[in-house]
Amino acid sequence: MTSTIPLSESEASPSWTRYFGFNTDAKVIGIQYIVLAFFFFLVGGFLAMIIRGELITPASDLVDRTVYNGLYTMHGTIMLFLFIFPVLNGLNNLLIPTMIGAPDMAFPRLNAVAFWLVPIFGSLLIASFFVPGGPAYSGWWSYPPVSIQNPLGNLFSGQGLWLVAVALSGVSSIMGAVNFVTTILRMRAPGMGFFRMPVYCWTALAAQSLQLIGLPALTGGAIMLLMDLNFGTSFYRPEGGGDPVLYQHFFWFYSHPAVYVIILPAFGIFSELFPVYSRKPLFGYVYVSLASFIIVILGLIVWVHHFFPSGVPEWMRNLFMFNTMLIAVPTGVKVFAWLGTIWRGKLQLTTPMLFCLGGLINFVFAGITGIMLATVPIDIHVNNTYFVVGHFHYVIYGAAVMCIFAAIYHWFPKFTGRMPYEGLGKVHFLLTFVGANLNFLPMHPLGLMGMPRRVSSYDPEFAFWNVLASLGAFLLGVSIIPFLLNIISSWARGPRASHNPWNAIGLEWLLPSPPPEDNFGEHVPTVISRPYGYGSDEPLVEHQAEIEKALILQEATR
Amino acid sequence: MTSTPIPPPGQVVAHGEGQHASHNLTGFIIFLCSESVIFLAFFSGYAILRLSALNWLPAGVDGLEWHMPLINTVVLVSSSLTMVVAEHFKAKEKVWLFRAFWLLTMAMGAYFLYGQAVEWSGLKFSLTSGTFGSTFYLLTGFHGLHVATGILLMGLMLFKSFIPGNYSGGEEGVKATSLFWHFVDVIWIVLFMLLYVWRA
Amino acid sequence: MTSSSPRRPGPIALAALALWIGLLVLISVWMAGQAYHWLPVQASNAAPLVDGLFSFETGLGTFVFLGVLSVIAWVVLMHRAEKYDISDAEPIEGNTRLEVIWTLIPLAIVMAIAVYAMRVNHELGVLGPMEHIHPNNPVEAQGGYPGDRLPAESIEVIARQWSWEFRYPESHVSATELHLPVDQAVTFRLTSDDVIHGFYIPAFRLKQDVIPGRAIDFTLTPTREGRYRLRDSMFSGTWFAANQADVVVQSADAYATWLKQAASEPLQSGLSDAVGEYEERQKLINPGWATVRPAPAPQVNVPGSNTLPHDS
Repeated sequence: MTSTIPLSESEASPSWTRYFGFNTDAKVIGIQYIVLAFFFFLVGGFLAMIIRGELITPASDLVDRTVYNGLYTMHGTIMLFLFIFPVLNGLNNLLIPTMIGAPDMAFPRLNAVAFWLVPIFGSLLIASFFVPGGPAYSGWWSYPPVSIQNPLGNLFSGQGLWLVAVALSGVSSIMGAVNFVTTILRMRAPGMGFFRMPVYCWTALAAQSLQLIGLPALTGGAIMLLMDLNFGTSFYRPEGGGDPVLYQHFFWFYSHPAVYVIILPAFGIFSELFPVYSRKPLFGYVYVSLASFIIVILGLIVWVHHFFPSGVPEWMRNLFMFNTMLIAVPTGVKVFAWLGTIWRGKLQLTTPMLFCLGGLINFVFAGITGIMLATVPIDIHVNNTYFVVGHFHYVIYGAAVMCIFAAIYHWFPKFTGRMPYEGLGKVHFLLTFVGANLNFLPMHPLGLMGMPRRVSSYDPEFAFWNVLASLGAFLLGVSIIPFLLNIISSWARGPRASHNPWNAIGLEWLLPSPPPEDNFGEHVPTVISRPYGYGSDEPLVEHQAEIEKALILQEATR
Repeated sequence: MTSTPIPPPGQVVAHGEGQHASHNLTGFIIFLCSESVIFLAFFSGYAILRLSALNWLPAGVDGLEWHMPLINTVVLVSSSLTMVVAEHFKAKEKVWLFRAFWLLTMAMGAYFLYGQAVEWSGLKFSLTSGTFGSTFYLLTGFHGLHVATGILLMGLMLFKSFIPGNYSGGEEGVKATSLFWHFVDVIWIVLFMLLYVWRA
Repeated sequence: MTSSSPRRPGPIALAALALWIGLLVLISVWMAGQAYHWLPVQASNAAPLVDGLFSFETGLGTFVFLGVLSVIAWVVLMHRAEKYDISDAEPIEGNTRLEVIWTLIPLAIVMAIAVYAMRVNHELGVLGPMEHIHPNNPVEAQGGYPGDRLPAESIEVIARQWSWEFRYPESHVSATELHLPVDQAVTFRLTSDDVIHGFYIPAFRLKQDVIPGRAIDFTLTPTREGRYRLRDSMFSGTWFAANQADVVVQSADAYATWLKQAASEPLQSGLSDAVGEYEERQKLINPGWATVRPAPAPQVNVPGSNTLPHDS
């Protein structure tokens, strides 16, 4: 058998300017998404600092109430549509093709178009701060009738711009979803059946299916809202016979699955990272994978739990409570699987592992408050209070964002070719874990005591917990500094990374760091075993030893 | 210096044109399934508003005239048939017959749009006539946009059929366009039932 | 698939585990008791039911959370890799029996919680009929046809941007401070003049969105005398946070006296913090972004107060 190691070609390093143009390589697009998303994370975070600055005292004394309402609306909107969804799409772009052995996504140009829509609608949203009347101010939900009051009566209002931006975001996400789903279904390496696919790809497939099914409902609801706002229609206007609660159905039919679009990739990251840093296989891989799709199905039939106290009849409350409680089961299967993975493992408490462990603890806490929110009699009391705000920030910041950080530290060497600094990473983790808990735990007693959400002022008895929450928020603001320092300086001059610094098992770790533009190109290895084969001597692919040897040789001679 | 992948001995996987051809159709079908949900959202909104309305019809309106729309429906549905015939001729490589029936389909689609415009101009209610007007114009307008898009896509395919060698690399553009057209047709049938057949 | 081979833990380990679980149970029971302190005073017949359910879930949740935390803490302390050990651990891929157990037990638990909650829901029975109303019909817009379809003890609540008006149609009284007799069921008829508001009284543990274009019936029974807060819980615009009113629960005699006194009071401007703040704001050169103008304060017999100390 002859080995066909090609002569190393001396290519010029691709220029860094390619990150600023219309580039169709998924790895470039992935980084574009992630960097842009973090820019908006800083913007959204800055708005949060102002919000918590206002709320550190009971009176409305920092900014005018109209300004506060615009700020909290845009904080939520930016964090969701300009940070979380884009950063996850960025990770998908980096990880999906390399994990399944594909050279790129199924539709590279569509991929680039989907990315470039993000700065476009992002600009629309930022521009809305500067139009007469200010930005949208009715929360990221934009419930009518308050969202269509349009006090100045202008055609171009902050709310109108918001609706156009959200519609464009939907178009971008659907483009991405079509791409990710087609790629996963059609471009896996030889030998990689569905039950040899990494869990990250399972959860990505599940999440993107939810995008495809749910987003058009939001788009439809938003189009009708825009028409009510600007063209005098009556879909949601009671005076014309319309129904404001109809909007809530459309909105939440998408926005509930949207939270699974956010958390499923986090589940995928847990499932990928716990095995690596415990040196043990993922416990119950098949069940974990299938649970992702049980979550998809259930996630589509629970949306009314977001508006139990609105005008929905009793039978509907009971039905949706029942369905919502069921989701705890497949989620529990995953949580127990991760515990089973780390049990009797050989733990390495690296930065990614710390973020995963902290994220898991926060997630279980959020799951418990989630069950409370699903319970109708309790929800009637705490709906629209800070209890809900605490719950979802635990899930999003406490779990999903921490997983995103874990993923970035873990795959940074692969896609940049540099190692991040471990010490700074641990500092980042500590500040984040303490800051997040200090910020969001006090919100639960506030909600139980009856403090509504979205208020620009509150009764004095709520002051104590609000002060704690604001201190936590400021700590979170500080926590981002070691992260930015780390990423920027390691990317520029960190130690060079080998092809597999974590000694992990996966197709992406059989590529050089960073991988060439077409990944494996035409020489895709054949997969011959299940993923996460730690502790067994089975190779993942055919000719694995030769591949590894050649990679090591390449690194030694560069 | 970037590093190149080390090919495993003796293993070459083709990622040729043919495989990408099937990806395009897969992606387009997935997109169409997603697009159907937005129509489902509009349909369900219409149904809910209609069922819960105190007075559905605005003042001065007795209902919708259905004769002209029925003719438009027949024309549109038949255009799906002419499209199938066109594809049949294309499979038999009778390009000019393909183009003829393709153009006929486009003309029937254009007639449908013309009929829609005539109907709109004769109506006694507007977009702002309560939920009745809002839902009627939204549903028919959004559908009409899709018909117009379909005609544009067909025009593009017609133009491409004159480019030499266009079909040797894969003709999924025609398949995708025809799928889109049939989709638009099915949507119209549901719409016709909801708007015109469903009497108060 | 390599299944986990359970090495039977020794008797000491089992005893220690049992003790630890016992400790967690104690802590959970204690937390369940603590949960009552996180909630406002119980002032309605719904409160004990809601609080009981919440306490139960807190106890259960504490047990689950501490259980998971214990496992993680144990693993982090006892199962760490040695300093330079980069070798793998045991290749345990799963255990079907364990999977079945940890699917079925949570399923049973959440189903039990759902059944318990549905029972409480039924007992609360707060939600009455909802009907669509014509905002353009002057009689309906004013609050309906008293005597035709509303029960004896009924109060009309009109939510506006940004005030709460309470009307007692049988006594011809209106106020911006809600008075209720203790231990008597009362049905509210909730309507809104403009946008969606939220009728939320934390001490009662009850909340109902007020939807424009609908009149929603809502029944409850206050069980404790005192002064409580009614807060708007559904974002309703600029002065949403200031849209609060006081709820005074009094003995039947005091209530009757108040009603009689109120009926003889002339109509005057009721409470609306938004109106005052709006006037102040108008004086500023650059007040902020656009806002809807507040509705004028409702003309009522009794404005009441929203600055006196309240129980919760």
